Amino acid sequence: MRRRALLGAVGTGVAGLTGCLGGGGGSSSGQSDHPAARNLAAQPALGDPDDAEDLLVAFEDPSCPTCRRFETETFPRIRDELVDPGDAAFVYRVFPVVYDWGKPAVQAMEATYDRDEAAFWALKAHYYAEQSAFGTDNVLDRTEAFLADETEVDAAGVVEDARAETYDDAVQQDLTDGEDADVSATPTVALFSGGEFRTLVTGAQSYDVYANALGV
Amino acid sequence: MTPDLPTATGDWRLVGRTARLVLGVPRYALLAVVAALVGLTLFVYTLNVGLINALVLGGSLPVENRLGILVNLYPVVSPTAYTAAETGILLAVAALIGVNVALVAYHLVEHATLRGGTGSAAGVVLGTLGAGCAACGSTVLAGLLSLFGATGLLTLLPLDGLEFALLSLGVLLLSLYWLADGMRGGMIRGCPVDP
Repeated sequence: MRRRALLGAVGTGVAGLTGCLGGGGGSSSGQSDHPAARNLAAQPALGDPDDAEDLLVAFEDPSCPTCRRFETETFPRIRDELVDPGDAAFVYRVFPVVYDWGKPAVQAMEATYDRDEAAFWALKAHYYAEQSAFGTDNVLDRTEAFLADETEVDAAGVVEDARAETYDDAVQQDLTDGEDADVSATPTVALFSGGEFRTLVTGAQSYDVYANALGV
Repeated sequence: MTPDLPTATGDWRLVGRTARLVLGVPRYALLAVVAALVGLTLFVYTLNVGLINALVLGGSLPVENRLGILVNLYPVVSPTAYTAAETGILLAVAALIGVNVALVAYHLVEHATLRGGTGSAAGVVLGTLGAGCAACGSTVLAGLLSLFGATGLLTLLPLDGLEFALLSLGVLLLSLYWLADGMRGGMIRGCPVDP
């Protein structure tokens, strides 16, 4: 449970920071001080958050339709044009606040991530791809079927942990850090460049918004 | 002063004719376009206050990056940011704001004495209120759209918050009718307003 073990490693103090973050504004705080960038080592990441020039920390809910648009239309270009060339890192943090089935879904995501990171990214993509098919009654059954069919992880174990909320500390940490970072909607992406916080971008904004915001 | 409600197709023909006559004057057509763009910009700004303040109005990005951010926040330009329904309703709200403002301006400038009587005065007041309410509605919509995904409240609304945009549309259409009704009996560009 590497993620839970790292949850105690909370980033340095954030006192005095909140005031310059209101509504996503402010651009002078450091990455190490910013709540969105707390516990980065414990988060699912594409690219290297420690070395990449630019960092995108996304707070998302798998049940959120706007997140689905971000996932299917914007995220692929961020991955292909910023992350894969090594210019940026992308970190996914859960923020389950939309439909109820998102809550057990993120429990399953955390349980999956702890077992196998590749399976985590596959499960995340599956939730968005099949979003309309999920509900509170079937989310964990469908999750187990997907993981069993498409990944190598112990699907039954993941679902058992999700039902028991074994990884709830990780979920709560993401919620706390998101709220401290003034995240009020999903998706919200905290942008950092050169170790400095730039802004929060909310909604399924186009790739061009991110590219221009990062100056690339 | 109790305004009438539009109840017959003739009422909407009156609105169409009045708007057509006013917008046939180039300066009022231009005013309508500008007002529509301002309305849309108000919406875009209220939905992205933090981002625009931090990187478009503030920060140290080159001008082309600032413009690149701003332009890509608008509906149509960035189809990923809005659903087709959101885009359609927002453009309709912006267009109706433009027509409302043009009619109010025409009324105030060309009918400065409000010679149409109480109906005319009521039209100006209600038309102005209509445009104001629509702007207000846009702000409410912006807030709700920004919250879409963050609160269970909107999951209770069948249209996920678009109800407020539709409310804005309704207010704008009513205000257009009241403005046109206020101009009834007058002349625009030498033409009688009454159809």
